[in-house]
Amino acid sequence: MHGLRFLLLWAAAAWGFGAVSGIVDLEGKAVDPFGGAAKVRIFIFLRSDCPVSNRYALELKRLSDEFGPRSAVFSMVYADPHETNKNIRQHMEQYRFPGAVIRDPVHSLVRRARVTITPEAAVFSAAGKLVYHGRIDNRFVELGKAMSTPTRRDLEDAIAAALDGRPQPEAYAPAVGCYLADVE
Amino acid sequence: MRRVVPFVALVAATWPAQGAVVTFYKDITPIVYLSCAPCHRPGEAGPFPLLTYEDVKKHAQQIVSVTKRRYMPPWLPEPGSGNFHDARRLTDEQIRTIEQWVTQGAQAGSPAEAAHRPEFTRGWQLGTPDLVLQAQAAYRLRADGADEYWNFVLPMKLAGARWVKAIEIRPGNARAVHHANVLIDRTRSARTQEKTLGAGFPGMDLSIEADTFDPDSHFLFWKPGGIPWEEPDGMAWRADSTIDLVLNVHMQPTGKPELVQPSIGLYFTGHPGTKFPMLVQLERDGALDIPAGDRDFKVSDDFTVPMDMDVLAVYPHAHYLGRLLEGYATLPDGSRKGLIRIPDWDVNWQSVYRYTAPVFLPKGSVVSMRFHYDNSDANPRNPNHPAKRVRGGNQANDEMGHLWLQVLPRDGEDRRMELQEALMRHRLDKYPGDFSAQFNLGALQLARGNAADAVRYLRAAVEARPDQPVALNTLGAALLSAGNAKDAASLFELALQSNPLYTNARYNLANALAEQQHWEQAAAQFRAVLTEDPDDPGARQHLGEVLRLWGDEMAAAHRLEDTVSHYRESLGFRQDDARLHSDLGTALAKLGRFREAVPEFETALRLDPHLDAAKHNLQAARARLEQAGEREAIR
Repeated sequence: MHGLRFLLLWAAAAWGFGAVSGIVDLEGKAVDPFGGAAKVRIFIFLRSDCPVSNRYALELKRLSDEFGPRSAVFSMVYADPHETNKNIRQHMEQYRFPGAVIRDPVHSLVRRARVTITPEAAVFSAAGKLVYHGRIDNRFVELGKAMSTPTRRDLEDAIAAALDGRPQPEAYAPAVGCYLADVE
Repeated sequence: MRRVVPFVALVAATWPAQGAVVTFYKDITPIVYLSCAPCHRPGEAGPFPLLTYEDVKKHAQQIVSVTKRRYMPPWLPEPGSGNFHDARRLTDEQIRTIEQWVTQGAQAGSPAEAAHRPEFTRGWQLGTPDLVLQAQAAYRLRADGADEYWNFVLPMKLAGARWVKAIEIRPGNARAVHHANVLIDRTRSARTQEKTLGAGFPGMDLSIEADTFDPDSHFLFWKPGGIPWEEPDGMAWRADSTIDLVLNVHMQPTGKPELVQPSIGLYFTGHPGTKFPMLVQLERDGALDIPAGDRDFKVSDDFTVPMDMDVLAVYPHAHYLGRLLEGYATLPDGSRKGLIRIPDWDVNWQSVYRYTAPVFLPKGSVVSMRFHYDNSDANPRNPNHPAKRVRGGNQANDEMGHLWLQVLPRDGEDRRMELQEALMRHRLDKYPGDFSAQFNLGALQLARGNAADAVRYLRAAVEARPDQPVALNTLGAALLSAGNAKDAASLFELALQSNPLYTNARYNLANALAEQQHWEQAAAQFRAVLTEDPDDPGARQHLGEVLRLWGDEMAAAHRLEDTVSHYRESLGFRQDDARLHSDLGTALAKLGRFREAVPEFETALRLDPHLDAAKHNLQAARARLEQAGEREAIR
């Protein structure tokens, strides 16, 4: 019995089912980011002081409008433990980011999603499997070097593939922006 | 053994000794206070503050990354080509120190060891301005999309003329505004591009019209964190109540809608401008026709300076495809002086660069511009994906290649016309038949009084652009100066056909008609000028003269009723003309209207008691009135 249980846990870790704890909403209440019904879950990692994530507010709204009706659930994740709830509310309001807002002060979701940058996206299947993580699109080549419009929309492709049950075009594409490690 | 010691010392000087802990307060504050915080503080352009340990630690790894790539602090020129004021380039050692600090765990250290934190001023950096001009309406910047370029027109709100030693631009929204340029518009020509007055207009680059050759040769520029430039003594520029300042602003969307309402602060001085700097432009826009996919398209320009001069500042300019931008001078002895070299051009961080010491160029030195462009898909800044053919032009999707130098001729005289002539001759060599070169050469000759030479260049300019109203008007002016009033009048009429509200051309037409003694037509045109601008002093004076002369002509033809009418209208513009009052009296007397004639003679004598004709005629008129009175009494 012991061996079997160990095996299960090990398999879960490999599949990304490890427990995510410490996630709270803006009232400070514990939240299960994987609770509730969803065909695909998208987490977008943000910092309110990152100009690159701010530039994606409209694009995220567009994706949420496009995929929301197909049961793709968007959550904005603020990972800086030092940010105030008031500041986060104000940021959400000013830039009109879509979806729910949650906080990940201990970076457990950051680790589960394997993200390092803001803005970076993580797409999970209904079963909770991480199917894509990385940039939203390729507009930013590096900090300070951006194309006027992207030529590849990685997140859009990833969500569509997940919803359609198709294989992912890519599992990961490096994001450009601000470092999450700076706010551990 | 003795040899080893200096080697160890050298290593220690460039790289903190192994085991030495790099701390924020001791090692990082000197860098951050000088090179980061001027922008990264509340109210300024940086997206987050970098003032305290907590601020910097929250971005520590990012700072390592952007300093190693030299993206921050933004400073485009390569060392070795020009020494500039406010150079923001970090040394290799500073960059290594930051990296080492983060690698070692970004420790705070002791606050007692911190560098002195400068007193940062919020708002106006030069103190309260003497005059603040604010854009009438805020520009609404979209939340996302391509960069935008907007021109705000700010009328000068002044009672008289003042000398300006400095301007400071407050962008109105530091996060959205990337840089701004001010142009002095002495003829208020730019505002004609506004749909409604004060609304502003779009455009990345703009040109300003001038009706006299008195170029304002200052770089009035703002970039984030820049220290406002105070002109040295004798370099102030004149602000009048009749000018506009045009503020050209480059904005980048931030993710949310932004309002941008900039202000310009002006600082006056009692010391007038006594020096005559000039902006020299090297350019090769005409050769900019860059095939899609070309990774290294080159343009060049070389200008031989016609006099000894000092270069005070340099402003290289290209759009999104520019890559390597270089300017240098080859001196008559064959040696080369680097003026500027930017290996990885970024239009977002364009700037005016002012030399710490003027760069002397002896007469005969050749200034060279060498610009390289990358129009391939591999250039992420390429606005076109896939790449497409790009030509020279003012819009963001066009390309440009300009190297501007602010120069000051050595001998202290006003040598601007001479310099302008050399530049325009050079332009004509580059672009045979070019409109602006021939127009400017013609205008220069006209200003010098060489009407015949002016006509030659201006005819060529008009040939290049037959419906350009300013060229038609200037050619007309040259013909009028050369004594050909008839042809001049036809040119002014053509200018008016191109632009019916071109008051200067109408004024000139009126003068050309007067020159031909076509009094009636001349008077009609002067009246029309006064309808457009009722206070125009020249038109008032000339209309008065024309009516007077028209009246004289009518008098000679014995058409006295007309004479009286023209003299009376003329007096509306020259009430103090004693002789005209007297002549009006005479015409009235000849018509037997002695009762009206007498007060005219009286006014004439009040203005000039020695006017004998008026004395004589007044007596005669009074005598006739008396006789008439006696006859009346007898009846």
